[in-house]
Amino acid sequence: MINRTAVLSQVLLVAAFFAVPSSAADDAALKKDMTSVIALQGLPCGQVVAVKVNAENDYACSCKDGNRYRVYVNAAGRVVVEKQR
Amino acid sequence: MGAHSVRLARIALLPLLLAAGCAAISPDASVAPKAEAVASQPAAASRATEPSAAPTPQPVPAVTPAPVAPKPALQPENKADRPATKAPAPSARPPAAPASTAAKSTPPPAAATSSSVAPPTLDLAALKEQLKETKAIGVFTKLTLKNQVDDLLQQFRDYYQGKAKVTMAQLRRSYDLLLMKVLSLLQDADQKLAAAIVSSREAIWALLADPKKFATLEG
Repeated sequence: MINRTAVLSQVLLVAAFFAVPSSAADDAALKKDMTSVIALQGLPCGQVVAVKVNAENDYACSCKDGNRYRVYVNAAGRVVVEKQR
Repeated sequence: MGAHSVRLARIALLPLLLAAGCAAISPDASVAPKAEAVASQPAAASRATEPSAAPTPQPVPAVTPAPVAPKPALQPENKADRPATKAPAPSARPPAAPASTAAKSTPPPAAATSSSVAPPTLDLAALKEQLKETKAIGVFTKLTLKNQVDDLLQQFRDYYQGKAKVTMAQLRRSYDLLLMKVLSLLQDADQKLAAAIVSSREAIWALLADPKKFATLEG
């Protein structure tokens, strides 16, 4: 019983260890995606440093230069970047 | 004792297997933080703006075997369209191409044109498919690019219907700019597709700049 618990705890530990980098990679990919989207719209940003998920396909992005944008897909299927104050 | 060692071996193997799985993914992640994309953009831009430099990249032949079918039809007409459409383009280009790179890239075309006149090109459907599938661009970026492609197509539609005030030269500039955006997104993470797009650029323009071909695109 003790052995099983030990094995289980080790498995969980290992899983947790690898789960963190995976979500970090997703986060980095999302930031990169948002950076590209904002740049494609010709808006100043530099680099997106933080992304907050408002809803599905709706993000609040903070840029390195201090600008903040809301990036979302509207009903027509267009990506809209709105500057936030 | 034997059972203990088996358990220990299992415990030891599990992290190794997980680590091996992560190691296979890590190269993709390493592409993301590259900050050189902006720095290398002008180089790609000069590469992109010179159609004569397109035949030289090596990865092009590897990408194109399947979708090459429409190429022969596109290439000759492409040349025919060039004199009319080329004229406005150079005015927009000079800043992008430094003198040194121009001098560098001029010798290969002389050799390249003699050996292979027609660079392998992609048809629009194949290009669209590959852009959809590439992992070099995020979903939102792809959607933004699609919006911008749709906008450009609408501009062409308006132009041919006489609704728009834009000139063909302005449309060419918009097209070049859009292609440059796509290339700057692809050039580091999906060089094959970037090279294929560079080599298809004139073929695609030939489709857009000819009202009859554009009409077939629409239909």
